[in-house]
Formats: sequence, structure tokens, C-alpha cells
Amino acid sequence: MPETTVDHLVSDDETSQRILADDGVVAPAPAQGERPRRGGAGLLRTAASKYALIGVWALMALYFYSQVPDTFGTSGTFSSIFGSQQVLVFLAMSALVTLVVGEFDLSVAAMMGITATVIPVLAGVHGMHIVPACLIGVGAAVLAGAVNAFFVVVLDVSSFVVTLGMATLLTGVAQMVSGSTIVSVSSPGLAKIAIGDVLGMPVSFWYGIALAVLIAYVLAWTPLGRSMVFVGANAEVARLAGIRVQRVRFGAYVTAGLLAGLAGLVLVATVGGFDSSTSNSYLLPALAAVFLGTAVVQPGAFNPIGTMVAIYFLTTGIFGLQLLGYAGWIQNVFYGAGLVVAVALAKVVRDRSRAR
Amino acid sequence: MTSTPRLEARGASKTFGPSTVLEDAHLVVQPGEIHSLVGQNGSGKSTLVKILTGYHAPDSGMTLEVDGRPLALPVQWRAAQAAGVSVVHQDMGLLDHLTVSENVGIGGFARKRLTGRIDWRRQDEVAAGILERLEIPVHPRTLVADLAPAHRAGVAIARALRGTVPGEGLMVLDEATRALPREDLARIHDLLRRVVDSGTAVLMVSHNLEEVLTTSQRVTVLRDGRVAGAGLPTDELTEADLARLMLGKTVDAVTRVPSVDPLPDGPAAEVADLEVDGRPVSITVRRGEVVGLTGLPGTGFEKVPYLLAGATRARTGTVTTPTGRVDLTRASVSETLRAGIALVPERRVRDGLAVDLSVRDNLALPSLRRRGSPWLVRRGWQAELTDDAVRRLGIKARSGDDLVKELSGGNQQKVLFAKWLSTDPDLLVLHEPTQAVDVGARADLLRAIGDAAAAGRGVLLVSTEPTDLVEICDRVLVLHPGLEPRELHTDDPDVLLEAVYNVPTTTGATHA
Repeated sequence: MPETTVDHLVSDDETSQRILADDGVVAPAPAQGERPRRGGAGLLRTAASKYALIGVWALMALYFYSQVPDTFGTSGTFSSIFGSQQVLVFLAMSALVTLVVGEFDLSVAAMMGITATVIPVLAGVHGMHIVPACLIGVGAAVLAGAVNAFFVVVLDVSSFVVTLGMATLLTGVAQMVSGSTIVSVSSPGLAKIAIGDVLGMPVSFWYGIALAVLIAYVLAWTPLGRSMVFVGANAEVARLAGIRVQRVRFGAYVTAGLLAGLAGLVLVATVGGFDSSTSNSYLLPALAAVFLGTAVVQPGAFNPIGTMVAIYFLTTGIFGLQLLGYAGWIQNVFYGAGLVVAVALAKVVRDRSRAR
Repeated sequence: MTSTPRLEARGASKTFGPSTVLEDAHLVVQPGEIHSLVGQNGSGKSTLVKILTGYHAPDSGMTLEVDGRPLALPVQWRAAQAAGVSVVHQDMGLLDHLTVSENVGIGGFARKRLTGRIDWRRQDEVAAGILERLEIPVHPRTLVADLAPAHRAGVAIARALRGTVPGEGLMVLDEATRALPREDLARIHDLLRRVVDSGTAVLMVSHNLEEVLTTSQRVTVLRDGRVAGAGLPTDELTEADLARLMLGKTVDAVTRVPSVDPLPDGPAAEVADLEVDGRPVSITVRRGEVVGLTGLPGTGFEKVPYLLAGATRARTGTVTTPTGRVDLTRASVSETLRAGIALVPERRVRDGLAVDLSVRDNLALPSLRRRGSPWLVRRGWQAELTDDAVRRLGIKARSGDDLVKELSGGNQQKVLFAKWLSTDPDLLVLHEPTQAVDVGARADLLRAIGDAAAAGRGVLLVSTEPTDLVEICDRVLVLHPGLEPRELHTDDPDVLLEAVYNVPTTTGATHA
């Protein structure tokens, strides 16, 4: 076949972006069903880029087991790691829902805090029945999410500004209603829905699993979820495909409020009380888990299953290191280093496996 | 004209990977002349300008001299500036919320010697001086946002000439005039003549052949990365000559035998009273017909696809298809989509495809609502759709799981086309479908457009590529702002180009 000259290659506007990689040879259309497949090495690398974190997780667990078999290798350790992170799971899912549609919500922890403050104040201090107290508490977080949505989506104000302001404001409101003290509530019914034992784990652990699976299902298998992913990937493409982009963005903020409120509910139900000044310390671990989750399962994309893996990966590491005798500071060091190293590694592996 | 050229570039080549976009091009600009650089999209003229401004590094073998003094390559912009080269970009690079004085001064403010802070009074004087020299009646403290379009261009030119000594230097106008209304063009052309009368040279990149012939003394034509005409005096040229030089005969013709009598079962879409630039336009596309729509780059015809798809609100207009009738003043994209109108937008990376997602996801996007229930989007039809698209358009991808950004431009364009074809539209609206794709992909795409029409769809091809239009369209509508569309039946790209560039009203500017 003679070599064809390649012309009309470069548009006037965005020259550098449009350089083509075509070989310029008019290849015959591939025959039906016959497509070049990835080689075995390619598959291995794909698997490596998808599940590397799980491998590291296993190695890490083995290491801890070899160092401190008596403490690490017990069922108590297992339930401590997997039964203690429900609040973080809910909060991370809350952050994930906005990140998927290309938004950013810094107020998820504060929305969780307002719920976790309002419920004990209403039920414990004012003696309200626990059910309406919970509804009002979660409702407050949903309302905050709607206010975020109004400012960001309708008025088109920077999401950083709005959610940062909302986070600070809600922290202050929570301190006001709680009188800046630790508020608590004792409600056996509420405790039961969170820490009741199901298959050896607290029931809220299963809530977290169910929530992650539900979000994963919605994102992958429903028109709504696919629309969300496209809005996040390229809002203009989504708009030109007939997706109501503004509605999707609005909904994401409100959903983030709802999930943050549920995180607050789980928190109160598990612990029985809350110190409103601590709420923002939950923010960075949740965001770290969501971003670390982009290194697993669906590399490069925000995905709930990856977020779950990330949460328990981080918890395992911290728990093991604490068993080895490191003090509390290790938590922040491990979260920070783990996040950057794991995401960077996953990206490098992914880029390598793409290079042709 | 003196014997030493103001700018002399020789042996300019540029390859990107396997493709050569500029090959051994040369450009000589004399002092005191307006020299035009013309060529179709992809001819390499932007690349050449970007080499001159230091944005691209040329391949080895190029030499560049300004006023006889060699300039080191790749061009360091500061050195070029010191040699007197200045540039006005197509968007003019003005900051609307700043004053004229600030816009003129950016990058080289007059400063106080002692403190180093900007000396606003002196800066205003400097700006006023240049504006006066160019006879632009604008006060330095006016906000640029408040200026008329012609004055905005004047301010951009004033900034470019800020540091130059009158009578020296070379100013590059990179399609800076294309957004200007016609009545303002004449004023800018007068301004440019004043600039070159002093001895400064102007290199003008333009799509408007009439502008090229009336304002510039000489013209260099690029075609497919090579010089097709070097420094030709414009007073010996007609627009048809220029068009022929630009076009050449290098592109493999795709032969679609235009259906002599389109399928007789009526219109695929009737567009009625669609307001484009203040004038209602009506277009009927019959089933099985490919209708072209073209005009001067940067004018109203380019808005038509977005108006038709409901992506931009129209002032007036309705569109009627066999599936439904849509009021374009209120329509949303999903409504026009349901009425059977699919838009394949220009700029695939920005508006067309989510490049970080897979081929299959992108292909399935417009059909999600139609083919998925609210609680489940099955994978089966998505895989079928992907296989079908890959086979029919010859998309070179390893599998539907490949990310769109891993594909070449031509294959991306095929994905974009297949994505919208899969919605089974009555009317397929295509905007610059062959922009920045190689010849092979172009042929595949044009063939697919023909197939879509043969299947009984109506196709509206909105494009500035004359060869595409004459090869694939049954008829072509040329739309000039404020005029009734002119219908052409031709196989000759020259005839089409002439109709596009020969605007019926004149600016009143005299032939140089």
C-alpha cells in the first residue's frame, strides 16, 4: 500500500492538542469480531494497576501478623478494624457523590457534625422523642446541602467558597446549640440500630457495605449514575447529550447532605454523644479515603468500592502501627503518605500499561 | 522597498510525530508592506506563525532573519520582541475589566525608578502617545469593556506597537480581524495602512480573501504545509486565483453519487424562521438528502447547529421532523433529541466526548434514557452498539473499554459520529466533522455520512471545508450575515469558495 500523505492535520485553534497519532495509512476496517486483544503481560499490568492496593494491604497485614502475631492475629483485631469505621464510610460516600459529578464539598464533616449535635440536644437535653429528633437532625444536614447547591449551582459561586463557608458556619451553629459542650443521649433503641450484632459485626458495618454497593450500582448501572459520571467527566458533553446538568449537580449536593446527616446519625447511635468542636477533624480522612480509592478497582475514577478498600487499608495500617508501639501521631503521617504514594503509584502503573 | 527584508524565514519545517504539517516553507516580508499569509485549515499557516512567535520549535534546518540579523531558533520571544516583532492574537488578549492604559502597558509598565512601582501618570502618557500616533480616539483611562469593537482591535494593535520605534518592526496579526463587524474592518484597515506607511511591516493571517486582496500588497499561500505561492503581488490576483492556490488538488475525492432524486417520502426536517444574525432563515432537508451549510469563518452560520439542537436558545424558529415539532425558543437538548435531531458538535475534545471515559460509555450516553430503565442499564445493548460502531466505521480500538483519549483524532471523531448516529435521528446535524482528521478517517467519515443519508435520514453538514461540501452534499447553502441563503449545486470547490468569500456587499475599501 503506498504511503498516503497526511493532510488537514492541524486545526487553527488548538494546534498542539490535535496532533494525531494516526499512521496515516488507510487500513481496511477490521473484520467482524476480530480485534487485537491485550497480551498476557498487558492483562497482568492492568490487574496490577487495578488491585495493587489490595496486594499491598495483604502484604501489610502479613507483616503485622509476623511482627505481633499474638495481638494482630486475633478476631478482636479484625472486628476493631472492620467494625469501627462506619462513620467514615458514610462521610466518604457523601464526599464521593459530589466529587463524581465534578464538584467539591468541604462541608460534609460539618454537616455530619450538625446532625450529631442536634440529635442529642433535642433528645437528650430537651427530651424530645428520639425519632423526630433524628429526622430533624438529618433534615438539618439535607437543608445545608440544599443551601450549598443553591449557591453553587443556581448562583454559580465557587464551590470552595460556599462549602468552606458552610463548614465554618455549621461548626459555629453546632457549638451554639450545644453550648460548646459534649452533648449526649442515651437511647437503647438508637444504639440498637447501630451496634446490634449481625454475623459478628455491628449492624452499621453492613449499612456501610450496602451503601457502597448501592452507590456503585447506581453509578454503573442506572441512567442517573451514568449521567452523573458524564457530568463529572465533561459537563458540556453531558449537556449536549440532553442531560440536565444543573439538576444533577444540585441533586449531588443534596445527596451529600443526606449522607453526611446519616453519618452523623450513625455517629450518635454508636458513641451516644458528640463534641461539636471535633467535627472538622473527620473531613480530611474522608477525602483522603475517596482520593485513595481512585487508585483501586476503577483506577483514575472515583468509585465507592475503591473508597471502601481505601478506608480499611488505612485503618489496618494505623491499627497495626499502633500495635507495634507507635503513638497517635502515626495516624496523620500514615494517612498523608499513604494517600500521595498510593495514588501516584497507581497513576504511574496505569500510564505505563497504556503506553503502546 | 529596500533590499533587506524585514523578515526572512527559510527552510521552516515542523513534524509532529509521524505527520509533517510544515515542510520547507519560506516567508519574506518587506518593510512597509502588509503581507498576507493565507491557507486552508491545516495548511500549516498557524504552525508557521507559532514558530515565529516561539510557541513551536521548528525542525532543524530553518533560518530566520529580522532586518538581516539572524535570530536564534527556537525563537525566544524576548529576543524576537527586542528585534521588533510583535503579535496581535486572534482573541486580541485584552482584559475587559482593566483600563486601556493597563492593557497597553501589560508586560512592560512604566515604573518609578526609585520604588519600582508602576508610574501611572507616565504609563497613561505612554499609552496616550501610542494611541495618538495611531489616531485611535480613546482615552487611556477608559475600561476596555466599554469600547467599540474597532477600538478594541485598535488597543490590541497599540499594545503590540508599544515598544517599537515608528517605522521599524514587524507586527503579526493572527486572524485578529475575524471577529470584527464589516463596517469596523474598514477602520482597522485604514489603521493598518497608517502603520505600514511609516515603514513598519505587517504580517496578516486571514481567512477573508477580500480583505487580503484589498489591504495587503503581497500574499504568501500555504497548502498542505508547503508554499503554494510566495510573495505574490495582490494587484494581479483575483479571489478565484487565491482560492485555487489554497485548495490545490491533493485530497482524495470521496465519490458519493448524490441521489439524483432523493427518497420521495418527504422532509426529514423543516426549519422555519430560525433567526440567525437578525434574519429569519428557513431550511428544508429531505430524507436521504445531504445539505451543506457554509459561510465565512466566524459568522452566523456556525451557530445554526447549536440553535437546531437546542444547545443555544433561538430568538425565533421552529423545527418540524416526522417525529415531532420543536419550538427552538424554548427547546432543551433532550427535547430536540426526542424530536429526532442529533448534533455532532465541533471541538470533539471539549464538547463532543468525555475523553477520560471508555469508548463504550461514550457511545451509549445519548441512548441511556431511551434504552435503559430507570433502575438498570444493561450492558448487552451497549456492547452490541459498540461492536456495530467499530465495524461500520472502522474504528481502530482494542476494545470498547479503551478510553477515548487513547484513540487517535480520526478514531475519536468516528466515535463521536457513531455516538449520535446510534440515536437513530431523523436529522443529523454535523459541525466540521472532518476537522483535524487524516485522509483515511476523512474518507471513512464521509462514506458514513453518505450511508446515513441513504438510510433515509436527512443530513445537515455545517462546514468550512469546501471539498467536503462539494463531494458529499446534494446542495450547499451559503449563508452570509443578513442575507438570504444562496443555494449552489456544484462539484467544483473553487465555485463554492468564490461564493463564500465573495460577499455581496462591499466595505467600500479600495483595492490596493
